[in-house]
Amino acid sequence: MQDFLELAVGAAASGCVYGLLALAYLLMIRPTGIINFAVGEWAMVAAFGGFLLLSKLEWPYPLGMAAVLGFMLLVGWATERIAVRPLVARGAPLIAPILALLGMLVIFREIVSISFPPDPHPVPYAFGIGRLDFGLLGGSYQSFFIIGVTLLVFAATWLFFERTLAGRMFEAVALHRRAAALMGINLFRVTALSFAGGAGAAGLAGLLVSPNISAHYQMGVPLAIQGFTALVIGGVGRVEGALLGGLLLAFAEQLTVRYAPIPSGFAQGVPLLFLMVFLLVRPTGLLKARA
Amino acid sequence: MSVIARWLGPVLLLSGAAFLLSDYHNDVYRKMLLWVALALGYNFLFGICGQVAFSHFAFYGIGAYSVVILLFQFHLPLPLAIVLGVVICVLVALAVAIPSTRLEGFYLALATLALAQLFVVVLNEGGALTGGTSGIANYRLPDIFGVRIRGPWFTAVIVLLVVGTYAVLWRLDRSWFGRACRAVRDNPEAAAAMGVNVARTKVIAFTLTSALAGIAGMVYAFVDNTVNPPIFGIDNAFLLLFMVIVGGAGRHAGAVIGAVLLFLLPFWLSPVVGHHHVLVFGVLVLAAILLQPRGLIGLFDFAKKPS
Repeated sequence: MQDFLELAVGAAASGCVYGLLALAYLLMIRPTGIINFAVGEWAMVAAFGGFLLLSKLEWPYPLGMAAVLGFMLLVGWATERIAVRPLVARGAPLIAPILALLGMLVIFREIVSISFPPDPHPVPYAFGIGRLDFGLLGGSYQSFFIIGVTLLVFAATWLFFERTLAGRMFEAVALHRRAAALMGINLFRVTALSFAGGAGAAGLAGLLVSPNISAHYQMGVPLAIQGFTALVIGGVGRVEGALLGGLLLAFAEQLTVRYAPIPSGFAQGVPLLFLMVFLLVRPTGLLKARA
Repeated sequence: MSVIARWLGPVLLLSGAAFLLSDYHNDVYRKMLLWVALALGYNFLFGICGQVAFSHFAFYGIGAYSVVILLFQFHLPLPLAIVLGVVICVLVALAVAIPSTRLEGFYLALATLALAQLFVVVLNEGGALTGGTSGIANYRLPDIFGVRIRGPWFTAVIVLLVVGTYAVLWRLDRSWFGRACRAVRDNPEAAAAMGVNVARTKVIAFTLTSALAGIAGMVYAFVDNTVNPPIFGIDNAFLLLFMVIVGGAGRHAGAVIGAVLLFLLPFWLSPVVGHHHVLVFGVLVLAAILLQPRGLIGLFDFAKKPS
């Protein structure tokens, strides 16, 4: 039991990272139907932003974090402008922007791999290295920081969708694009905002996880897989589902590594297994979209 | 008779070329032919059946590793190793495709991305069976009927593989199954309304092309006489997709052009951009999708009959 509680905080923190990545997918899939595989690459770009501003230039953490997130919003917006909008405007099939975004994925990764040497780059912890204990539960400062920030982001996103006019606009577009356009909603603005938001969420995930795994130009693909698996587990319909899916996936992974007698590398097989099982048994995910 | 003659011509021409090339150029030629075989198969899956998958190159690896492991770890005879290798590819393909094609959308892309990622992990962690990070080396193709196939003769085997792959896919494309695949790609609802079993068509197309990739992998295993994890990484899965997009998805000629061009491009580009040719590929793909969605073959058609 002690052993499990020791694991719990760390697993919850990784689950929050997966949840943020799932949220990034969700923000883009809901209004546009586009799966953007470059989510992992966005996380990678933000991690390198963290390395540049926080490790190399030694900016104070809040300032560096704000700058990276601001930059990511811009990256998301620019990605939509380059690879999505011309195709949607032309009425190309849905697969076209998805493939164009795959091209962008490679471009992001190659630009980073050209600009930085191939070894892992350290990114600092938000509050340094240290340990916090609440009775039986204990974990590193960074774990609690990740959990706190993620809960804040999810609360804000939930409020945005449920309580603000702009959020209702997103929902309207998700329910019926044509009808929403006829009601005077600017589809392009919604798409641009969803990509900016997606890049912001993915970037945040990358920045939060990078102190633990270091910024590396190949870190994107595993994160993209884990994030999408979390989304499939939780269901595409609801914001809370993303977080729930992320937490479930992370606990399954960590418990496998801890208790199953297999090499730790095989933990990377857990997302695939989850994906298969959920697609077979419960393809709508755990939480259904509200009618 | 004329059917045999039609396929024999290209086989003789393509394998004849191998006897004129030096050892180094033979090696390059073989790898190019294997990329063409892979691109042809992937084009059927992606271009004709409209499914995005990232596992095609992993199946190439599964084929290569299974034939090597079955031959040299379990000491099975070559024909049995080949058959078992194909069976392994089919089983893995079915396990991935059946759950992921039940739903609309791009679940297959994700599941196969995860599979491709996992495959490399399994290779690295496989211990003595897969040879871990350094892979398996120092083996050679067993003699067939007492004859040792090597040099340009082995290139001729690869030519047979490419032409065989092309013949199978060409025939399939013209059958009811090929039409069903195109219908599933263009409009799944309409295809279902016309009595096409959409999920089954997708699963069969995926399994079949994955098995073809596996067979190509078995031949590849004896090109360098070594198999190791970095060869089968995720980057090549993207490269394959890019070949088909740049060449022209849905057209056999497009797949061949794309594969040849993107395979040879790094040789010409390396003095200019060093190892960063992938960036050029990314830009090419983006340009193809934005400017000419039918790829280079589309440009060619456009130049041929300007209207």
